[in-house]
Amino acid sequence: MPTPIQHDRSVLLAHFESFRTEIDDYNDRRERLIKASRDITNLSKKVIFLLHRIALENDDTSYARAAKRGFAKLCEVQNIYAGLSHELAGDRYWRYQRQVSPGLQEYIEALSFAHYLQHGTLISFQTVQRSLSSPDGVPYFSLTVSDYLLGLSDLTGELMRFAISGLSSHKGGRAKATQVCAFVRACKADFEHYTPFVPDLRKKQAITSQSLEKIEDAAYTIVVRSSEYDLPPEILDDIVAQSISRFSDRSQKHARGFEDGLGEDDAQEGPC
Amino acid sequence: MDTEDIEKLNGFLDKDVEIREKIKEQVNELDKKARTMVGILNRVHSTQSEALPPLLDSVRPVLLSCHDTISQLASIVPGNQFWRWKDMWTNSLRTAVFSAVMVEYLTKRDLVSLQGVSDTLGFKAEWADRVALPAEDYLHGVISLVNDLSRLAVNSVTLGDFEEPVKISIFVKDLFAGFSMLNLKNDVLRRRFDSLKYDIKKIEEVVYDVSLRKLTTSSKESKGTAGGDIEK
Repeated sequence: MPTPIQHDRSVLLAHFESFRTEIDDYNDRRERLIKASRDITNLSKKVIFLLHRIALENDDTSYARAAKRGFAKLCEVQNIYAGLSHELAGDRYWRYQRQVSPGLQEYIEALSFAHYLQHGTLISFQTVQRSLSSPDGVPYFSLTVSDYLLGLSDLTGELMRFAISGLSSHKGGRAKATQVCAFVRACKADFEHYTPFVPDLRKKQAITSQSLEKIEDAAYTIVVRSSEYDLPPEILDDIVAQSISRFSDRSQKHARGFEDGLGEDDAQEGPC
Repeated sequence: MDTEDIEKLNGFLDKDVEIREKIKEQVNELDKKARTMVGILNRVHSTQSEALPPLLDSVRPVLLSCHDTISQLASIVPGNQFWRWKDMWTNSLRTAVFSAVMVEYLTKRDLVSLQGVSDTLGFKAEWADRVALPAEDYLHGVISLVNDLSRLAVNSVTLGDFEEPVKISIFVKDLFAGFSMLNLKNDVLRRRFDSLKYDIKKIEEVVYDVSLRKLTTSSKESKGTAGGDIEK
């Protein structure tokens, strides 16, 4: 007598068949979102370069012009998000958050940089969410505090580059560097409050501190040189330019030392 | 940052902290229940099959008591945020799923479906965006069942039940066939699935031992006839 089998093999296999569909569906969507996120990261990085390039042009309207071009270019990213909204609908956003976040943070970095060039202020949570909403105001997905803060935290690195390269190539560069210095300092203080709530923010704060220090060093140079002599601006420019070239040798050393220590996360580091 | 924005963000974050704490409380409860059930089910390995029903009966009330915890969780988790918080209870939930499938297997010798486990533990369809039983967690529970059945195959023989390993063997092979149908990516589930072959090997060795020594009824019956099952 064969041992009685109680379970029905075909029923059991049918269950697994439905799991297969479900798991495949999950994996496919995940892949699609990873690809989209990579495209978004790419586009956003290009926008950041664009903003730097135009902002450095030596005239009065360069900041506003950069911001305008940047916002226009960021529409491409917004369109990608519009197309993704059904992939992120309902509880899906949280399921795929890990796939979505990297691109989203890069986008926020680019957007906030353009916003800073335009207004000289930090972009608000509401404004970022509005940029990720359909024309009639329906969000493509709900923005999270953590993505918002982590995206902004990357902004400080860009501002450091912007301030320092502006010193030698833009005639209003010195005044701007002083402003940026105060702004980044305020950002750092504001973000500090959130470090216990947002994982990863602490690490980014460390990088913000480094960026801040670089800007402070540059601001120091400006004050010291201009107080010693009553020099015309052109000569000051020359002196500052020399100081910058010495300074950037040193800061590269800094950056290397940092990489040995903490490693990754240097999307915002790199040569100034 | 202007003060209005700061206040707004603070509001969000304070709320998250509150939710996290409330969930933690419930997860502790769920965890306690899961441990209790695993503790009882561990005795299966030293219980004669006649004494099994009362043992299983003592697990059932604990299983049912998960209803409270699950419905509490459903009331805490905000809409559409299931995937945000689920990691907090995943481990306890998988253990609870294991207990449910184990009880069902020992009672009916069948695999209880995902829907079945979901009902047993008290999940409701309308909570799907807050608490639900995802396929992944269910499958983890089923793999734990196989892990435990391979032990049971050994221990039942020790207790003198020579039929059990054969039953287990057939069941587990079908489960393995089921798992083989899935396209798993390189994650924990995939690794645990890969380890199933060792459980199957262990069970087969037990079956081999008992049939070779003609300890099972089927092999006893064929004792008279030339050869018996083994040669087939």
